[in-house]
Amino acid sequence: MIHLLMYIPAMAALLLVFTPGATKKYLAIAGTLLAFIVNLLLWQQGGADTTTAPWVPTLGITYSVGLDGVSLLLTLVTSFMSLLCVLYAAFNVERPGPMLANVLLMESGLLGIFASRDLILFYIFFEATLIPALVMLAIYGGPRRVQALTKFAVYTIIGSLFMLLSMIGVKYYSGAASFALADLLAKPLDPKVQTWLLLGFVAAFSVKLPMFPLHGWLPEFHEENHNSGVPDVMGTLYKVGGYGVFRFALPLFPDASEELRIVLMALAAFTTLYAAWIAFQQVNWKRLLAYAGLSHMGLVALGVFSMNEIATTGALYLLAFQGVYMGALFLAVGMVNSRTGSVGTHFGGLMDDAPVLSGLTMTLWFAAIAVPGLAGFIGEFSVMLGAYQVSPWLAFLAGLSVIAAGAYALTAYQKTYWETKPQGTTLLKDISGLEGLILVSAVVVSLVYGIYSSPAIALIRPTVDRLLQGLGG
Amino acid sequence: MTLQMPDINFTAMLPITIILITAVLATILGFFTTRRNIAMLGITGQVLTLGSLFFLWDQNLTSFAGALQLSNVSLVFAGIILIGSILSQLTSLDHASRSNLNFPEFDIILLYGISGTLLIAFSGDLIVMLIGLEVMSLSTYVLATLQESKRSEEAGMKYFLLGSVASAILIYGIALIFGATGSFGYDSIRQAIASNTFQNEILLLTGSFLLLAGFSFKVAMAPFHQWTPDVYAGSPTIVTQFMSIVVKTAAFAGLISVFLKALPGADWILPAQVILALTMIGGNMAALRQAEIKRALAYSAIAHSGYLGLALLANPELGIPALLYHLLGYTFANAGAFAVVAMLQQDDRGILIPKMRGLYYRKPLHAISLAIFLLSLAGIPPFAGFVAKLVLFGAAFQSGYIAMTVIAIVTSMIAFVYYLRPAVLMFMPAEEAQTLEDRPFPNSTLTVLASVAATVVLGVLPNWVLSLFDNPIVQQAMK
Repeated sequence: MIHLLMYIPAMAALLLVFTPGATKKYLAIAGTLLAFIVNLLLWQQGGADTTTAPWVPTLGITYSVGLDGVSLLLTLVTSFMSLLCVLYAAFNVERPGPMLANVLLMESGLLGIFASRDLILFYIFFEATLIPALVMLAIYGGPRRVQALTKFAVYTIIGSLFMLLSMIGVKYYSGAASFALADLLAKPLDPKVQTWLLLGFVAAFSVKLPMFPLHGWLPEFHEENHNSGVPDVMGTLYKVGGYGVFRFALPLFPDASEELRIVLMALAAFTTLYAAWIAFQQVNWKRLLAYAGLSHMGLVALGVFSMNEIATTGALYLLAFQGVYMGALFLAVGMVNSRTGSVGTHFGGLMDDAPVLSGLTMTLWFAAIAVPGLAGFIGEFSVMLGAYQVSPWLAFLAGLSVIAAGAYALTAYQKTYWETKPQGTTLLKDISGLEGLILVSAVVVSLVYGIYSSPAIALIRPTVDRLLQGLGG
Repeated sequence: MTLQMPDINFTAMLPITIILITAVLATILGFFTTRRNIAMLGITGQVLTLGSLFFLWDQNLTSFAGALQLSNVSLVFAGIILIGSILSQLTSLDHASRSNLNFPEFDIILLYGISGTLLIAFSGDLIVMLIGLEVMSLSTYVLATLQESKRSEEAGMKYFLLGSVASAILIYGIALIFGATGSFGYDSIRQAIASNTFQNEILLLTGSFLLLAGFSFKVAMAPFHQWTPDVYAGSPTIVTQFMSIVVKTAAFAGLISVFLKALPGADWILPAQVILALTMIGGNMAALRQAEIKRALAYSAIAHSGYLGLALLANPELGIPALLYHLLGYTFANAGAFAVVAMLQQDDRGILIPKMRGLYYRKPLHAISLAIFLLSLAGIPPFAGFVAKLVLFGAAFQSGYIAMTVIAIVTSMIAFVYYLRPAVLMFMPAEEAQTLEDRPFPNSTLTVLASVAATVVLGVLPNWVLSLFDNPIVQQAMK
């Protein structure tokens, strides 16, 4: 079943190549829908135990996959958002064929990332998400995409190679028989070598997380992507750095993580503030969202690096649900763009013509800036609460970003939606049924998990507890 | 008086005999039939030779008192060489007339060249290796010049002049090694060094340095790589394809035999490290500035020589499988890449990288396959190049060459830039429509499809090849 989940989208993508134009979109929708249903069934069964099969025995690479609570939650979010993306792209993008294929490929890669329990397998899926991202940017990107693309590729690949070096190092120094996580955990590493190996992992994950100073690729990547926002949603989804740190870096290098905890937390806290500050100055919705996402990711990093159970739970909660509301916001920007032809924040007066769209967008923004009752609040509050127990000052510093978030989000929102409409513009259409369905379902998810968080917490908590016990913390 | 018969094992000569008979047959038939038939004959001969390798697997035959050695490792080398040569001859079927190479001599010389490469792979002493190397090199000089164009003549001339100097250096090296150890055979040289039964250590050292320099030229390692970009860019594309895969594999087969079988005890590790570092850094940095795809691939070939050279440093039981795996993946990726370039180019000058913009919208399959080859060369999963780099860098790392591994990793990061640029450009909408010939190239397409399949399969199921080396006889042969 788990294999089915991982490869349904990829197979659908392959089939897309051979299907004629008009049926492409239905095939893509069917693929993502099927994956989502399989995922729900897996949820009902309580995930999947780790299964391990030798893949390249001579090199010690195994095909080891499993879904525990945290992975399950993240795969659910991934397949849900992919479904929304495909729905939106199928009917709102011109020539959607290649984009749909890439979204499907990326979904497979992401599901693979969350399911892998082998370092090399994880690396392969980690890199596999890169190719569709690059292709989407190349085909559908804006005028300055070459620069954005190069920056993005160079940053991520350099980071990943450091991780690869660390992976080879982990197996070599631990003397484990394979790259399977279970094998590696059975043979703890000497604390002396842990530090530089951890730094290799952190370098890779900080690029994708992203974290200051390795976030340089992010704003341009989002700005140059296709205006529909579909590639951006997939882009926000593969911010798998936080998950990678949680799943691999902390358990493998417990001593080094302990030692570097404060430094990494400080970096994370700085990232949140720094990004919020820059977000405040943006006049382009996509850049604004990029920096807002960066700020949230700083909080995720703060939570994960704090190695405190409440903070870590909160960080994973935030990681999962920011995929939903930030993703939906990117799609909302796409919807605004398809009406006004711009992604600038200066437009004004949207509320008059498109009240439903504006209202839904506002709700999503409220979720993003952690208004109580919406999903963002639970995550951010738990991160703060837990981080405070580790370092009150850093928690305070990061807490300022929550205030800043209110400031940048509301300023920009006010300009686009409330200020008077420029004269001479035509009446804009309000939201269509499909667009409404997409935004409403994202709002519903944010609302439900903002009020009734225990199903998600119940998924995350056991995994976090098990991990932190392993660290002795 | 009993007649002393020389030790001749005809079974061991099977692969070389088949290819030589094919070559001779082709030479004679070349007067009577078309070039196409000769090429088909050549391909048949090579496929038969490839088949004979399976027959010889696990037998560890020797002949001429060890001058020919058919260990499993050398059989794999020969197999990679033959795969590469079959792919390049297949590609040449479509392009020879366009490249003004439409005469049987082209295929005949190619076949003689292949016999030389096999001789290197099976060599058991320095003289056989040298003969093979010279047969191969002479054929390649001619192939590079065969086209009637100034560029190709210049390329061939450059290759010939510098190649002769390199051969001379090699021969001096061989002479000095012989002077020091009193032997040409790999095994007896190794024994002489191990038992310290020779007097003149300086002679041995100088000899091995000269050998290292000579081989560095042949496999294009810095600072002896200067010829590569000019020769690659100047030669007809189908010849460049042959040089970049077959000649390189053969030269590495010789390099590995000489340094790991004959001279493992000599003191060449430090200069080799310097050369490898220079190669990796120089090749990759220079590739960044190339505007033409053939030149870029030439520098990529230099850079790959650097990575492959890591196998020389690593422990043989780790390094040799890694080297063979990398060579196999590299052969398919380069064969495919040059086949695509040959299909797309207007003339043998190749294509300017900026002109590849928007290729996907006119020739989607060409663009996708070329992108796959470039990604494989860059070492991105799930393609063969990723596993190849993983095993190769892993071998160097586990053998304790951490600094070299770091250089290799950092330089391959730099390499991503020049591999990704054309790969991504092809998917961008073109600003102006380029005219492209709309001719079908059935044989080149076959090369490309086979290479794509192999690149993906080797990347996803590397165990098929890597498990070959778990065999105890192979393990024995590597020690």
